[in-house]
Amino acid sequence: MPPDRLDATFTALADPTRRAILARLAQGEASVNELAEPFAMSLPAISKHLKVLERAGLISRGRDAQRRPCRLEAAPLKEVAEWAEHYVRVWEERLDRLDEYLQELQRAEKKQGRKK
Amino acid sequence: MIDMKRDVTSTSGREIILTRVLNAPRELVWKTWTEPKHVDQWMGPRGFKTKTDSMDVRPGGTWHYVMSHAEYGTFDNLITYREVVRPERLVYSHGTSEEPEQFHVTVTFVEEGGKTRLTMHSVWPTVEAFEAVRKFNVEDGGKQTLERLAEHLATQS
Repeated sequence: MPPDRLDATFTALADPTRRAILARLAQGEASVNELAEPFAMSLPAISKHLKVLERAGLISRGRDAQRRPCRLEAAPLKEVAEWAEHYVRVWEERLDRLDEYLQELQRAEKKQGRKK
Repeated sequence: MIDMKRDVTSTSGREIILTRVLNAPRELVWKTWTEPKHVDQWMGPRGFKTKTDSMDVRPGGTWHYVMSHAEYGTFDNLITYREVVRPERLVYSHGTSEEPEQFHVTVTFVEEGGKTRLTMHSVWPTVEAFEAVRKFNVEDGGKQTLERLAEHLATQS
């Protein structure tokens, strides 16, 4: 991939909303309304993101004037987006567990302190 | 959907930065990252058991652990430490025994009024390294481990 194209791709992937859009499109094509739905975001704002993704060649837009469905292109980068989302989910859960575990440890320490 | 407000920022498609304020002093948080008896208690995602095989926390030292799940099987993990600055920073590579250099992680521990701000910065250096992670994650059935893991996690929430 030429360096400036790779650059545009990583810029496109730098935004968490855009990565989430790619992860959604990995499950199948969707209209702009369908894509906007999970985010508390206006249609113009979503459209801006879609333009960036389209310029980077990561999505294509159908010609159906009514729906203009969006489709994912560039399979390896879709995997990067999916992988990033999964990685974040896994680590969020681990950090939740760590937080709980730290509270348990501190409670146990306090108990031991009182027994002495 | 990921709760973007809580943990995550990312500055490029090649790296992920997570940050969390943990309600515990820094020395204790450091212990939970560097001692087998602690780390095995929280490292696995739900449904997984983590068992440390060996752990040597110093530059060039390694931590080998196995994650196992009743349904999804076992996953081998190898961490090679690059920098160890107690109690403030851990830098390591994360991979498997066959492919040890898959991605590069920096974890910092910062005191914030009796609590600890933990930041994890994970980078995969090249698309090739990403491909290596992908290979590691592909199961016999052809379905990616992380995909199944994400599905599994989704059923838990």
